[in-house]
Amino acid sequence: MPKDDAETTALKKELNDLIAKCKADQEKVADAKLAEKCGDMGDVQRIRLVVKKSLKGHINKVNSVHYSGDSRHCVTGSLDGKLIIWDTWSGNKVQVIPLRSAWVMSVAFAPSGNFVACGGMDNMCTVYDVNNRDATGAAKMVRELAGYEGFLSSCRFLDDTHIMTGSGDMKICVWDLEAGKREVDFNAHAGDVVSISLAPDMKTFVTGSVDRTCKLWDVRAEKEKQTFFGHEADVNSVCYHPGGQAFATASEDKTARLFDIRSDQQLGHYTPPGNAGFTSCGLSFSGRYLLAGSDDNSIHSWDTLKVAHTGTLNAHENRVTSISIAPNGIALASCSWDQSVRVWG
Amino acid sequence: MVTMNSNEKAAPKACQQGSSRDVTKSSKEEKENEKKERKERENLIANLPPSVQALMATIPSPEESPNYLAYKKMEAIIEKMQDENTGVPVRTVKSFMSKIPSVFTGSELVAWLGRHLNLEDSWEALHLSHLLAAHGYLFPIDDHCLTVKNDNTYYRFQTPYFWPSNQWEPENTDYAVYLCKRTMQNKARLELADYEAESLARLQKMFSRKWEFIFMQAEAQSKVDKKRDKLERKVLDSQERAFWDLHRPMPGCVNTTELDPKKLSRINALKQKRLQQCQELIMQHNLKNNPIVTITNAQESEEEIQKNSEIVKENGECSRTELATLEDDKPSIESQIEAAKRQVAVLKARLERRNVRVSKVAEMFISYCEQYGEYDAFLTPPEWPNPWISDTTELWDQEKQCKEPLPLRRVRRWSFSLRELLRDPPGREHFAKFLSKEFSGENLKFWLAVQDLKALPICRVASCAKDIWKEFLDSNAPSPVNIDAASRELTRVRVESGKPDRYCFDQAQAHVYHLMKSDSYSRYLRSEMYKDILNGSKKKTSVKGIRSIVSFTGRKETSSN
Repeated sequence: MPKDDAETTALKKELNDLIAKCKADQEKVADAKLAEKCGDMGDVQRIRLVVKKSLKGHINKVNSVHYSGDSRHCVTGSLDGKLIIWDTWSGNKVQVIPLRSAWVMSVAFAPSGNFVACGGMDNMCTVYDVNNRDATGAAKMVRELAGYEGFLSSCRFLDDTHIMTGSGDMKICVWDLEAGKREVDFNAHAGDVVSISLAPDMKTFVTGSVDRTCKLWDVRAEKEKQTFFGHEADVNSVCYHPGGQAFATASEDKTARLFDIRSDQQLGHYTPPGNAGFTSCGLSFSGRYLLAGSDDNSIHSWDTLKVAHTGTLNAHENRVTSISIAPNGIALASCSWDQSVRVWG
Repeated sequence: MVTMNSNEKAAPKACQQGSSRDVTKSSKEEKENEKKERKERENLIANLPPSVQALMATIPSPEESPNYLAYKKMEAIIEKMQDENTGVPVRTVKSFMSKIPSVFTGSELVAWLGRHLNLEDSWEALHLSHLLAAHGYLFPIDDHCLTVKNDNTYYRFQTPYFWPSNQWEPENTDYAVYLCKRTMQNKARLELADYEAESLARLQKMFSRKWEFIFMQAEAQSKVDKKRDKLERKVLDSQERAFWDLHRPMPGCVNTTELDPKKLSRINALKQKRLQQCQELIMQHNLKNNPIVTITNAQESEEEIQKNSEIVKENGECSRTELATLEDDKPSIESQIEAAKRQVAVLKARLERRNVRVSKVAEMFISYCEQYGEYDAFLTPPEWPNPWISDTTELWDQEKQCKEPLPLRRVRRWSFSLRELLRDPPGREHFAKFLSKEFSGENLKFWLAVQDLKALPICRVASCAKDIWKEFLDSNAPSPVNIDAASRELTRVRVESGKPDRYCFDQAQAHVYHLMKSDSYSRYLRSEMYKDILNGSKKKTSVKGIRSIVSFTGRKETSSN
């Protein structure tokens, strides 16, 4: 290990001083605790969601689920190498798309409902057109976006022509789908980028990574606007608050947290009664409920403002890998290693 | 009750090795070998320099595998269950012509769990026993599916040798040997299941070259098995079968030993990196401590002298490589310094940020939640009935429709913020109508055009940007938009620079948005048009409408009176 010379030691000291100052600043701003301030709010009832539909069709673990913009269809990706687009109301499979590689880690549905994207251990992101079929009758593959040096961990459509991806090579890429080229490509984190969440106004997005930090980015820039520390292990999932001013995170360190952008710090710290890491999170339409899927086969929910556990949703028989809340807030879809997808309403 | 003694442990181990040694001897030899290996490893490690030892400590050990903690907890429960006095009663059952050794029933297991763990709900004990089975700690003696039923079916404990916490990861060759051995046994009840037959065929194709070797191993193992006592053999067979049911589950069952591939790939990558680093450090350490010795014996032959000079050269080169490593050190210091400087800059920027106080932020959250609470389906039931309960798709159809009359809630939402108004297509149209009446419609048109520009593919961005400029911002534009001179100049430079990108109108767009928000939007909310649509939706969608007509006629009567 190289020895420290004078310059390095001076820099290290400066860094530590600055970090201490930042922390002191944070504490100055933290003149109240979220739970106390909301103490006089009415208590919110225990979560009353019940499984309304159980979508059966996958024959291997389901890794990821995402709702469409119409709040009725969702797409799921599973290790059996299929993408299935479901109509959550009737439980019918609208389309089954066979994939070239079975190792799907993440799926995304365009808000318009016209495209789906998936990717995983094949180090590629593949985009399919839902409305056009190709010669074999499956959805037409529009683009195969390759060039990643790590697995694809998450992808989200900005609109019908742009998709943003985060991957295991610690980068974020924005692709133009018409040209099939990368528009933006930058190193984002010090570890795999695990999850991306877009703000409601699509101007900013938040990423979570295994380096235990979450960063806030502007869609136009390549430098992060803010970094949030606080988690003690990998951040597994991030989800924007519908108001666009905060986001929730779920992590391997068995907690979920609420970070606020304006005060630049962690507001809420939510722990489950049990002891299992979280794999995914979502916020309800008004932001009052925070739901997180966990390794102990259940989905926990909390009152975000009062920082209180409001119940668990038990129905899965193996770990819950991903949850997605419908854009109009009517339902929650969850998928699990027990090969089923459930719609709660 | 049959206890798990060392004989049973050693026997399967001997089987795995495929040689028919004496059972007790093999166990002793095994233990001695293990001790020797451990001592050797410890000596090796002690000889390594402390930096390497520290690094090796960071290599993720098997104990850090994510499932390990869960296994430890399950084993604690299992040990309590196997206690002679207070555990689950295990016995040998007599049936038809044979005895079934060391079994317990499903209902006994569930009852014991419920009692000893103080479980309130009856289904919890069943669920927990199912999970214990799914992870391979107990198994049904008749079935391949690892689950527990709360009735009189029989179950058996798995021997600690086969516990998943031993980090097994068995290979396909082992599975092939096992399936082959099964086919050699003549009992009808030990026949292969369909999926096992398929796996065997597949493995035969895979290992066609070394199939003889596998066959020999299977033969040897079945010979050893035949020598054993009948009851003991039954138990061991069932335990081995359960082990394979866990690691090669039947179709329809989940494999609980699998790790999340993301975590696994990361742990493996980390191990590789650390091992590489250890090796490099060891090399450096050796170079430092063991300089190459030059031979100085005068009686050496010509070859040796040449070798000497080569060695000297090598030494010189070596020192060069040492220099090289030193030089490598320097860039790493520099890169460290650079990284530190970058961090300093980021932290300084962070200090200069104006942050909002948490109390204020909390108030804003509270007001947001209260405002949107009635739109949150998890808090208040939505206007349209739950589609799964009422079996209609009214909820989604109603959301899509844009004709009047619109529901009151939806129209009220437009008053929350300009963003909400513009988000809803009928809201946009209504606002556009209002603006055209006030002759300020071009602001909204400009804003919408720039939004569309942002969503275009790259090839069309340039031409669209030019069109927008011509239409809205040029000196003789047909729909001139009112923005300040500075933004206009900035935008002009970017558009006419030859490569307009999709964000060149951002500043102008922000300015227009602010204008709309402060000026037009507030007037819209107070306008007659908005009030009409608000009332219009009220009357047509609720019974209150009829009542208001009734009261109107009532008032008429009183006034006439």
